[in-house]
Amino acid sequence: MTVGPIAFLVPWILAALVVLPVLWWLLRAIPPSPLRRVFPGVRLLLGLQEKEVMPARTPWWLLALRIGALAAAILAFAQPVLNPREETGSGPLLVLLDGGWGDAPDWSARMSHVAGALNLARQDSRPAALLQLSDSPPAEPVLEMRSAADWADRLQGLTPAPWGPDRDSWAAWFEDLDGGFETIWLTDGVSDDGEARLADALLSHGPVKVVPPAGEVRALTPPRLEEGVLRVSALQVEALPGPVSVAAIGPDPNGIERVLGRGESEFASGSNRVDISIPMPVELRNRVSRIQLETGLSAAGVVLADDAVRRRKVGLLSGQASNEAQDLTDPLNYLRKALEPFAEVVEAPLNDMLNTAPDVLILADVGSVSAQEEQDLLDWLGDGGVLIRFAGPRLARSGEGQLERDPLLPVRLRAGGRSVGGAMSWGAPRKLRPFPEDGVFAGLPIPGDVDISAQVMAQPDPDLSQRVLAALEDGTPLVTGREEGDGLVVLFHVTASADWSNLPLSGLFVQMLERLTQSAGSRSIDEGAVEGLTWTPAQVLDGFGRLQQPTLVAGVPGEDLIGRNLSAEAPPGIYASGDQRVVLNVMGADAELAPLAGLHDGVTFAAMEQEGETRLAPWLLAAAVLLLAIDVLATLMVSGRFRNVLRTGRRAAAGIAVLALLAVSAPAEAQEILEDPAPTDPEVLYAANETVLAYVLTGNDRIDRISEAGLRGLSRALFTRTAIEPADPVGVDLETSELSVLPMLYWPVTEYQPDLSDEAYVKLNDYLRYGGLILFDTMDSDLARNFNGETPNGRALQRIALKLDIPPLAPIPEDHVLTRTFYLIQDFPGRWYNTPVWAEAAHDVSEVEGLPFRNLNDGVTPVVIGGNDWASAWAEAEDGRPLFPIGRGTSGARQREMAMRFGVNLVMHVMTGNYKSDQVHVPALLDRLGQ
Amino acid sequence: MRMADTAPLRGPDKPQGPVGLRRDAEKIGGALPPLLAEAEILAASVAMGEHGRRRAGPGENFWQYRQAVPGDPRSGVDWRRSGRSDYQFIREMEWETSQTVSLWVDHARSMDFRSENSPRTKWQRAALLALALVVLLTKAGERTSLMGTDATQPRSGTKQLNRVAMALGENPTGDRPEYGTPPSDRMVRGSRAVFFSDFLGDPEPMVPVLAHAADRGVKGCFVQVLDDIEETFPFDGRLIFESMGGGTEFETLRARSLQQEYREKLAERRARLDELARQLGWLVLHHRTGQSPRAALLWLYMATGARQL
Repeated sequence: MTVGPIAFLVPWILAALVVLPVLWWLLRAIPPSPLRRVFPGVRLLLGLQEKEVMPARTPWWLLALRIGALAAAILAFAQPVLNPREETGSGPLLVLLDGGWGDAPDWSARMSHVAGALNLARQDSRPAALLQLSDSPPAEPVLEMRSAADWADRLQGLTPAPWGPDRDSWAAWFEDLDGGFETIWLTDGVSDDGEARLADALLSHGPVKVVPPAGEVRALTPPRLEEGVLRVSALQVEALPGPVSVAAIGPDPNGIERVLGRGESEFASGSNRVDISIPMPVELRNRVSRIQLETGLSAAGVVLADDAVRRRKVGLLSGQASNEAQDLTDPLNYLRKALEPFAEVVEAPLNDMLNTAPDVLILADVGSVSAQEEQDLLDWLGDGGVLIRFAGPRLARSGEGQLERDPLLPVRLRAGGRSVGGAMSWGAPRKLRPFPEDGVFAGLPIPGDVDISAQVMAQPDPDLSQRVLAALEDGTPLVTGREEGDGLVVLFHVTASADWSNLPLSGLFVQMLERLTQSAGSRSIDEGAVEGLTWTPAQVLDGFGRLQQPTLVAGVPGEDLIGRNLSAEAPPGIYASGDQRVVLNVMGADAELAPLAGLHDGVTFAAMEQEGETRLAPWLLAAAVLLLAIDVLATLMVSGRFRNVLRTGRRAAAGIAVLALLAVSAPAEAQEILEDPAPTDPEVLYAANETVLAYVLTGNDRIDRISEAGLRGLSRALFTRTAIEPADPVGVDLETSELSVLPMLYWPVTEYQPDLSDEAYVKLNDYLRYGGLILFDTMDSDLARNFNGETPNGRALQRIALKLDIPPLAPIPEDHVLTRTFYLIQDFPGRWYNTPVWAEAAHDVSEVEGLPFRNLNDGVTPVVIGGNDWASAWAEAEDGRPLFPIGRGTSGARQREMAMRFGVNLVMHVMTGNYKSDQVHVPALLDRLGQ
Repeated sequence: MRMADTAPLRGPDKPQGPVGLRRDAEKIGGALPPLLAEAEILAASVAMGEHGRRRAGPGENFWQYRQAVPGDPRSGVDWRRSGRSDYQFIREMEWETSQTVSLWVDHARSMDFRSENSPRTKWQRAALLALALVVLLTKAGERTSLMGTDATQPRSGTKQLNRVAMALGENPTGDRPEYGTPPSDRMVRGSRAVFFSDFLGDPEPMVPVLAHAADRGVKGCFVQVLDDIEETFPFDGRLIFESMGGGTEFETLRARSLQQEYREKLAERRARLDELARQLGWLVLHHRTGQSPRAALLWLYMATGARQL
């Protein structure tokens, strides 16, 4: 039975819906029973009449809730199905996968489609078969049918192959096959000219449904170097416009693989091929090991870079015996330095060097070579090698190429050379003429300081002008070149060392060598070299385009590599034979992708993504249970019992709520702290505009009040007695307040002092470093005498000080500047007295002869630490009355006065620094001291 | 006016040989000590701040010297102190007299009520307060009496304290009424009385007892001990309320709608109690079991010790 998009598998259960009205009537008839409560105040209730009456019948919404729950349950048992699949065919089912690299980008969608198809087949008990066209067809034309569940288990093990499907041979296999079946063909949409034949073959067995790929299938051709730029072509099947981007990947200097460069382009409408340039410096370009599509990756979307874009191998050979002591005269030294950034340098005897197949061979001042060597070199040149020779005394002396043309030299040379600009010669050293536009050096800038003072000369042969790659101002050839076979012979008419010219010292030298090196053609897939050898895979690509270690290490004949016969035996990847390596990519340089064509009209098409059918029964059952749960709560609420349930859970709920609040508020608080105090903060403005004494808010109200009263008293004393006229003191919260504007901080330390945040410590340390002073007061020196200093407040102070940047401390000595900044005092009493007060220890304890004063504490001590409870001694009420009793009678008043004097001295010390320790004042002070 | 500190034991309270001793020992070893201990702890918290009479009066202990004024008897002059100065000083003693305080702790069924969140039943709270008060009074040397029990006879001293504690610790026997009325014991003239009850029952039966008290010049206070939910009435829905004994039932269809009226009725009942107290010159303390007993005890101690009650 089907209603709209929903079908019921067990429709007869729907008949139970007729009981709903009966249930309605029943539920309405039976009210909930009342609850009995013991309550002593019942006497007071007697005679009361309630104004509103609880409905004796169940409220309608509760009824609806219950009926809804029951209806949901009934519907659930009727097994509704959303979007049921239409009936499919009967008989055996063949699921055909192309299974090549083209399947890789949307492999998971394919697998779920296949799983859906197999699941349906399982429900209909249809036998099924699953084939992957990228495999080779079996020898026997027998299609093995199994239960669909069997196949479903195997789906996890399937992977796309890194090559394409072989539709033609499969078509032949299907043509030989007997029996009828329905076919679902999941194709990658890439034509291999066998699809039409395959479709016909399949149609002869039964209906065929073709599922084209959901997305675009793309591929890359091998990279190539064009005008020094790395370039690849991106291919696509459907000629749709769209952006495409590639990434060049390779090891960085640390050997870690990373993206070295990116290229982007856009497919033009109607075109299925686009060139993408990947601009990158030579050094990076030489490192690129592969280039891949950034989206829709498959084996064909990855191209392994071969030597065409990789570092050139350069062989160096010098006619001069290497002499380590004379590096600067060794021509190879200059070449090495110039080549190493972009080329692989090989130094070996000539024979060994030729065996390593270098792209470029540089002979620096090598005179003559043996006939055999010459022949080898000529063979190598014929294969496209680039031979670069540098002149020098040996070459000039050997007479090579002077009488007849030497095949290893581009031009004939004249005997001897020429020297210009020397002590015994005419003229000045020669400069370079701009390079010819069509030459290999075209466009290279010529630095003005390159001078040529000696060179070998070319014979003025008729074809000399064609061979000049670079010339001097006077037209004398400096670099000449000649093609020899596929290769090139180049001669620098100067030395590779700085003997004849300073060219090797210039950047131009490096650029010229780079141009010449890059002009050496790719010698990688030299068919002749590959053929006849057996290559073993070093790294292979899987269907998804990932490089992996090969599981199959059987050798592959070179012919297969040249012929691009990709198969399980020869997957794409990197192959090695000896020390030679070749690369086998999925796509050739001139490959094209084309869509499927010529399919028979009888095939039907289906989309990859299919709306799966959904069983609604679990959801409906869950809804029924949920409704019943709501019903329980609602019933409790209606009958007044909900409150009890709530009450028991209230405490826990309150706890959770408090925690949640904390969690919410804590970050907000942190946020506030992190915000910079705005410069317009009135507190900061006040502290900056006025001279204020500040105290640290401890969180203990009493202590904070005492601190404030104490500093107020001290401020008044300063105002009346000294030039310092402080305003009312301020309390600072170390976590939030701005400290930099405060001259000093009074910090009463109690054992309840909370730990500060790291930011606060940073702030405090800055404050101490840049001239602030903190007066720590443990307020317990009356106890400290008995506790040997180990008071709880003292421990709290130690805890704080641990993270503060406090210099070494010492008890304030008698001659400390604090004892005479304003008053002459010897003691620092507060409410208590006779305990040592600590300040920064003297840096230099050497006593100046004959003077009682030492030049102490060039700056202000950053901390003063004591326990004399100074604030209590300073504390004054608003009317100037002292707040705390000190000592007894007149001696107490004296002590209070001394405490005040200490305060005055301390603030003076903060404000004036070591002014009073200046020697100028010594006589006056001595006089007053009565000495 | 000073009364003898040690009243001789007589009557049924005197231990009757080994049997009586054993009976008392068992009682002490039974339910008593926790209650007594708790009461003493509670009392100690009050006694810390409030100790002695702190005023001059007839007594043994020295209170203060004061300068003699005309009208002071010559025998009151302390010559030793006066000899040290030009003035004559009177040596005053601390006022020490013993009062009789009669307590009644209602133990009707309604007092056994305890709601879910209350720590105690109303009776337990009333008994605790009463015993703590007795502890304090005993320390101050007053005579106490627990009406309607074995400890009815006013006595002072630790023995009376134990007797009161035992009486409070006894499990109630027999058929108890739903709501209590104070027993019609004879009261000592001029004594003080403290009545602990929830006063939820009919107030009429209390009148004869109170009339007797008024006749004898007894001043005192009512302590109305209520459970929290008896004040707030947090009920809703269909409910049948029944009294503790099950004797009275009341069915409501929506309890919530009765809340306002119930509270009004409770306030009315309180106003009536207050009015009664005002007429008698008594004081009223409204105490809820959810509150701390300490404040109530302090109030009670001040109230029973006050000169002008």
